[in-house]
Amino acid sequence: MKAETKVGILGVFCIVLLTVFAYLMGVISPFSNTKELFVAYNYAGGIEEGSPVRVMGIKVGKVKEITFDPSFKMPNGEEAKLRLKISIDKKAWSSIRKDSKFFINLAGVIGEKFLEISAGSVDTGEFSNGDYVRGEDPPRIDQLISQGYGLAGKLLEVVEKNKGSVTSVITQLDHLATNVNKTLVLLDKATKNREVAKLLDNAIKISDDLAYLTNGMRSKKAEETYELMHKLLFRLEPMDGPAIKKFFQQEGIKAHLF
Amino acid sequence: MISLFTETFLGVFRPPFRKKEFFQQLHFVANTSLAIIVFCVSFAAIVTILESSFHMKLVIQNDSMVPGFAAVLILRELAAIVTALLLASRIGAGYAAEIGSMQITEQIDALKMLGIDPINYLVVPRFLASIAGTMMLTVIANVFCLLSAILVSQLYLGFTFGMFISSMHRFVHFQDIIFSMIKGACFGAVIPIVASYFGFNCKQGAEGVGHATTNTVVLASIGIIVVDFILSYTFSHIY
Repeated sequence: MKAETKVGILGVFCIVLLTVFAYLMGVISPFSNTKELFVAYNYAGGIEEGSPVRVMGIKVGKVKEITFDPSFKMPNGEEAKLRLKISIDKKAWSSIRKDSKFFINLAGVIGEKFLEISAGSVDTGEFSNGDYVRGEDPPRIDQLISQGYGLAGKLLEVVEKNKGSVTSVITQLDHLATNVNKTLVLLDKATKNREVAKLLDNAIKISDDLAYLTNGMRSKKAEETYELMHKLLFRLEPMDGPAIKKFFQQEGIKAHLF
Repeated sequence: MISLFTETFLGVFRPPFRKKEFFQQLHFVANTSLAIIVFCVSFAAIVTILESSFHMKLVIQNDSMVPGFAAVLILRELAAIVTALLLASRIGAGYAAEIGSMQITEQIDALKMLGIDPINYLVVPRFLASIAGTMMLTVIANVFCLLSAILVSQLYLGFTFGMFISSMHRFVHFQDIIFSMIKGACFGAVIPIVASYFGFNCKQGAEGVGHATTNTVVLASIGIIVVDFILSYTFSHIY
């Protein structure tokens, strides 16, 4: 075989390897089975071209293109200046509905960014190829930190303005704590005193006896007795003092005679 | 050496174009070096992925990112530089010895007397063949490195082919292999220039040829490493 032929074969082999590599990297996809969507954001939290797109946690596509478009507005008039073109496998396309949410999330040890699409409800319709949808902007950590600094500054200002009051409150709290501590020490001492212990024992016994007595008062028989007494008092109420006196005198006489 | 490079570069665009010499040299550079390069870079890739896994497990107790990291390292550095250093030893030494022998036996003077430009006749075909051959070998080395890494990660680290490719997707871009080819081309340009320089300046006797060969390998290796640094630094602004 001639040297030219051998070199030619090697050259063709190199081109084939390059093509296979390009196919594996997704640069060329002759058997593509994907659909595309445009997702609009105002803040994309570090997502890049080539970042994975996942539906219910499964990788189904990737971010193909990121476009800055300052004049872009959603149909409802909302401004969204960043546009992501994403490709999604047709097998997952039916799971993405018009009420699906498009989040930017973090995954993995190194915090890889990916676009997560929540599965929508079956009642809402499917997207068409090339539709525009508004994504959920991820929270901005820098903004939160900045707000935290602002809050801390305001708190400091309030404390500095009311320095006297704050000091007084702290002093009073200190006194209160000291007093509570003293009381607790006294209580501790009191519980260790023999006479107090005896007193407490007696109190416990009395409370036991009272419990026994009051327990009997809650019975059905006791309730009947209360009712009877109530009736008796109801009957006795119209009787005045002299009549009672007369009655007892007569009854007393009778008793005395018999 | 700079004047030799300039003359060679200009000679590329100056006729006569020596296709036959070019293909013969390309066969010498690419085809005959293929086996040794594939063998060596495959082992280098195996060591790389095993070491990466070991160190990642040691540091962060997790080696899930190893395929991606190893693939980036292979594509951006390992395959191109190992290929170039092997070629510097193999073809650099060969060129230096060949041109050196021609120099001490006054064959180059004879060429001049015949009205043949020695740079156009000897250096330009080798220069072009070395560039093209190193580029081709770099592509093959990259793919075989990745295949070795995939095989080892499947057998010893528990990554499937799909997991490896998926991890690669996070870090590797198609431009990496293009940059690797550009590196290969630059390394390929360094070797014949250095070899021809020492060949043309070869001293009389077998000792002179030996010195020319040794100096070629040493200086070409250093040149490759320096050019690698310059290109890596340049590409770091593009990645």
